[in-house]
Amino acid sequence: MSTASPHNKEQLPELDLRLTQENLDDLYEHAPCGYCTCLPDGTLVKVNQTLLGWLGHTKAELVARRCLQQLFTVGGRLHYETYGVPMLLLQNHVREFSYTLRRKDGSTLPVLMNAVLLRDNDSQPLAVRVTLFNITERRKYEQELLRAKQQAEEQREQLARANEQLVSKNEQLSRINADLDSFVYTASHDLKQPIDNMAGLFQELRHTVTFHDPEATAMLNMFAEALQQILSTIKGLTEVVQLQRQLEQVPVEMIALRPFTEEIIRSLQQRLDEHQASFTLDFEAAPTVCMARSGLHSMLYNLLSNGLRYAEPDRAPHIKVSTTRAADNVVLSVQDNGRGIDLARHGRELFQLFRRFHPEVTGSGMGLYLVNRLVNQAGGRVEVDSAVGQGTTFRVHLPMGGFLPTPSSSANGAAE
Amino acid sequence: MDALRRNNVTVLGTGSQAMVLVHGFGCDQRMWRLITPAFEACHRIVLLDLVGAGNSALGVYDPVRYSSLQAHAEDVLDVLRALNLHQVVLVGHSVSAIIGMLAAIREPERFACLVLVAPSPSFINDGDYIGGFEREDIDELLEAMDNNYLGWSGSITPVIMGNPERPELAEELNTSFCQTDPTIARHFARATFLADHRPDLPRLHTPALILQCAQDTLAPRQVGEYMHEHLPDSELIVLDTSGHCPHLSAPQATVAAIRQYLVPTPTLKL
Repeated sequence: MSTASPHNKEQLPELDLRLTQENLDDLYEHAPCGYCTCLPDGTLVKVNQTLLGWLGHTKAELVARRCLQQLFTVGGRLHYETYGVPMLLLQNHVREFSYTLRRKDGSTLPVLMNAVLLRDNDSQPLAVRVTLFNITERRKYEQELLRAKQQAEEQREQLARANEQLVSKNEQLSRINADLDSFVYTASHDLKQPIDNMAGLFQELRHTVTFHDPEATAMLNMFAEALQQILSTIKGLTEVVQLQRQLEQVPVEMIALRPFTEEIIRSLQQRLDEHQASFTLDFEAAPTVCMARSGLHSMLYNLLSNGLRYAEPDRAPHIKVSTTRAADNVVLSVQDNGRGIDLARHGRELFQLFRRFHPEVTGSGMGLYLVNRLVNQAGGRVEVDSAVGQGTTFRVHLPMGGFLPTPSSSANGAAE
Repeated sequence: MDALRRNNVTVLGTGSQAMVLVHGFGCDQRMWRLITPAFEACHRIVLLDLVGAGNSALGVYDPVRYSSLQAHAEDVLDVLRALNLHQVVLVGHSVSAIIGMLAAIREPERFACLVLVAPSPSFINDGDYIGGFEREDIDELLEAMDNNYLGWSGSITPVIMGNPERPELAEELNTSFCQTDPTIARHFARATFLADHRPDLPRLHTPALILQCAQDTLAPRQVGEYMHEHLPDSELIVLDTSGHCPHLSAPQATVAAIRQYLVPTPTLKL
């Protein structure tokens, strides 16, 4: 097939020629890697020029005078003795040992070592052939990796510690919260009886005792009013605690907002004797919310009654209750045209217990505290916009996903 | 955990007296394979892997507990108890020579004698004492170990530590000789090379044979002589070999020396 592949025919002799010119001695001496051979105990018997060049030693200084291990820094020497030698004797080869050569001038050179053990006819160890690669750049990169790994480990430990602290802080807070609840409960309970007694005694006094001071009537009325305030504060406190305790057991359910809200408005109008107010309800975007019935009732009742009570004196109250849908929230908004709150001044205290911003209107300072707590309990949050003299909007974000009824409690809904 | 499983104990041979062989740093029980055939006929051979090495239960490696060699000594005693062994010959290499010594100090009745292969009670030079190394040298060894475990460690390490319920992970890792979890190896290196058990030497009353290599960087001649001088009942034999592992580099000489020590010479018998 002489004519079939003229290219091969013409190129082969040229290739052969180049190969024959490769001198094996020269390849050994000047290979792009260090070669050496040593006895089983490490004594060097042959070292190539590349390695001699790296080390800065002459052949005479090393052969029969030095051991392979002695070319390494102490760490490598220890590693070779404890791990390299047993490995060679057990499996006749080692691969990819990362060592550092110590040059004659004291400087160092990172190398990667492969070695094989040769045995004689009786399988006795005869010699070790060693190949060394210069890995200066690779070593730098590896050390970067090691450093990064160490850093990552340290950070992981720091995170774990921080997490532990958080968990214990959290437990502490939960305990304090529970203590606070039981304190409020005990306080309201312990105050209630003496106050009830006082109210009864006062009632009795008004019937049986006659005061001659002309200002007595006014003072008696003020006293009665103060008693009423104390009684309503205690009632509010009791409600806060009881609702909290109830909610821990009451299941959440799907509640249709329109009839629920209308019912609250009716009872409010009766109680506050308020018939000037107008209401707009718009639940088209989200007709239902998922919450504990008593919680939703208390929340809406407080927001709506605030809207009525804190109306501008010379403006008929108008309250708009509506829903919108956000990503995975239902947002329930209650917007009034009342006095508004100076949020720049009071915003941070808005949801704190017993904080009051309109002393001229009677109130217990518990409504918004309760609203915020109920919403938080339901996994949501409350936002407020307000302008003094114009009105306030409360936006209650309630989650849709995580608070759906459990399968058993949704069975009724599904049957409809 | 059952000590026999924890320390991957292997029992061979038929003899009445037990010979327990404990490997040194950097390897596992397979390093005794050139020695054991010589003793199988007359001894019950017990091989084990120290916890953290070989096919031991890596998951039970507790860095706090195993920061002292005493923990390994307790493990060895656990194995002897589990097999109900008394009057054993314990052959310990390097760090395990010390581990064996600590075990024999605790429960002398379990040991007939010790064979200490290339032992060193302390690797670090201290005044007149020549251990062979400075503290910085040991730090450099730890660094060299880090460099050598770089390639394969990352994916395996975090899984194995603290997974006693998944022993198969450990098995997977140990398909090749003497490779172990790099974190454990580093920790064991620290426990091995920073320990100083010179004060324990006079407390050993079990007879001991010291097998000293003629040229050993890790345990130089002076160290073997120091051991011999401070062990109350010891014999020193220098093997004409270099390196730190005579049981691998000169197995026949090692076997002969142990035999000679164990079998009383005929002249004494008469």
